[in-house]
Amino acid sequence: MITLQLLVNGLALGAAYALVALGFVLVLNATAAVNFAQGDLVMAGGLLGVALAPHLPGYLPLPGLLLLPVVLVLMAGLGLLLAVAAYLPLRRRPPVAVFISTIAAGIILQNGASVLFGPEPRAAPPLLGGGTLDLGGLVVAEQSLAIIAVAALLIAGQQWLFGRTQLGRRLRATAQDPEMARACGVPVTAMILITFALGTAFAGAAGLLLANRYFVTPTAGGDLILKAYIAVTIGGWGSVPGAVAGALLIALFEVGVSSVLSYPVALGLLYATLLVILVARPQGLFGEAARRRA
Amino acid sequence: MSEPLLQVEGLTAGYGGAMAVDRLSLSVAAGEAVALLGANGAGKSTLLKAILGLVPATAGRVRLAGEAIDALAPERRVRRGLGYVPEGRRVFPGMSVRDNLEVASWLDRAGRARDLERVFALFPALEGKAEERAWRLSGGQQQMLAVGRALMGRPRVLLLDEPSLGLSPKLAGEVFAAVRAIAAAGTAVLVAEQSAARALSATGRVVLLRLGRAVHDGPVETLPAEALRDAFLGG
Repeated sequence: MITLQLLVNGLALGAAYALVALGFVLVLNATAAVNFAQGDLVMAGGLLGVALAPHLPGYLPLPGLLLLPVVLVLMAGLGLLLAVAAYLPLRRRPPVAVFISTIAAGIILQNGASVLFGPEPRAAPPLLGGGTLDLGGLVVAEQSLAIIAVAALLIAGQQWLFGRTQLGRRLRATAQDPEMARACGVPVTAMILITFALGTAFAGAAGLLLANRYFVTPTAGGDLILKAYIAVTIGGWGSVPGAVAGALLIALFEVGVSSVLSYPVALGLLYATLLVILVARPQGLFGEAARRRA
Repeated sequence: MSEPLLQVEGLTAGYGGAMAVDRLSLSVAAGEAVALLGANGAGKSTLLKAILGLVPATAGRVRLAGEAIDALAPERRVRRGLGYVPEGRRVFPGMSVRDNLEVASWLDRAGRARDLERVFALFPALEGKAEERAWRLSGGQQQMLAVGRALMGRPRVLLLDEPSLGLSPKLAGEVFAAVRAIAAAGTAVLVAEQSAARALSATGRVVLLRLGRAVHDGPVETLPAEALRDAFLGG
């Protein structure tokens, strides 16, 4: 039973990390740029949830869930702003320029959050409720189930959008060959803006989901971008399913392995695993898919 | 001959300081197929890219059905009626054949379905591979896909860059048969080729390029053999 509980907790954490990594890889594919602000955008989503929570009408059920669409929309707007300020003016410069500009954007977000919220950890409201559910002896936190359900819905929505719609085809074409996409009539700049909006909305959702059980501080982004980077490296640079798989693997170590051994040992083993994958399978677990990006 | 659909007037274009196309003029009418011949480096690919706007022109004008399109971004030119098949196919490798085709269409679902049927009728080999990822196709099938993708945008003018490159004679013949059919259906076709014999068999007029300039422009049957030899070998 304990194992099942750990599995649910690990899945919840991995699902939230998957959203972070998914947003990161979408922008990476569309622009070939590494968005180092992604972790700070997660933090911003969490603090946005904290800031909006007092304004929720208390008489409604599931008040935390109401925050989700608001956070998604506002963070999508922040993503557009990020693209306009830190990517578009530098898109024809060497990749290092965008690398630095997104680091700068992240530091601005971090310091802005410190000024507005102070350094103390904050918690966003739970999506469904702060209690637990007893499922035939399996006691599960409602928030864990909410995280899994919301992340799964968002990932499924992304898969549907990219796989089944004309907009998704244009987003994928832009990611695979932007010049050829233009030659097919695709408005590539608009597609890049939409991708930034989507990637940032996913980061915001992850922030809101994580900020209840794991709290949020203005400096939390550094750790999260590292996890997104590792997830994408493990999964295969540019692979969407790889990013999700890599995120779940990280959570498996952080929750599963750490419960058997200890957190520091689990982290050490995670990085050792990363090294083994880099040496034995440098293209990552889904490297084939990354090369021919689905 | 009918009014030209595509008119290129004194176009100059290149990369950085290097000029690859030098004050070049040509025109293509609806239903006409024109071969653009020349040796490697003559400026054929640059000319096609400059017409589309992928390479910036420093002088000259491009008109589509009489309307200047120089100020438009490539995607806007495509929406106005240009279609482009690049050298090396450049299909979207991770997308299915169907998605490669549909992405280039601007019609609703029913219109896309009708145009898909037209492309599959022109290239039956693609229909059975509709759900396959494009990277799994053979070179010839990828070339058919690249031509079909351009057709999904319902172009009035189709620009093809080295469509027979790397193909067996049989497959190249199939691709050029499709080029003839596309022109016969009313599309203006400008095809850049290194294989002169193949291009001349599918077109009615030829423009010879040498060092970025047009050195001959006329019907295929009046093309002097020495002009062709000079364009490819120098002289």
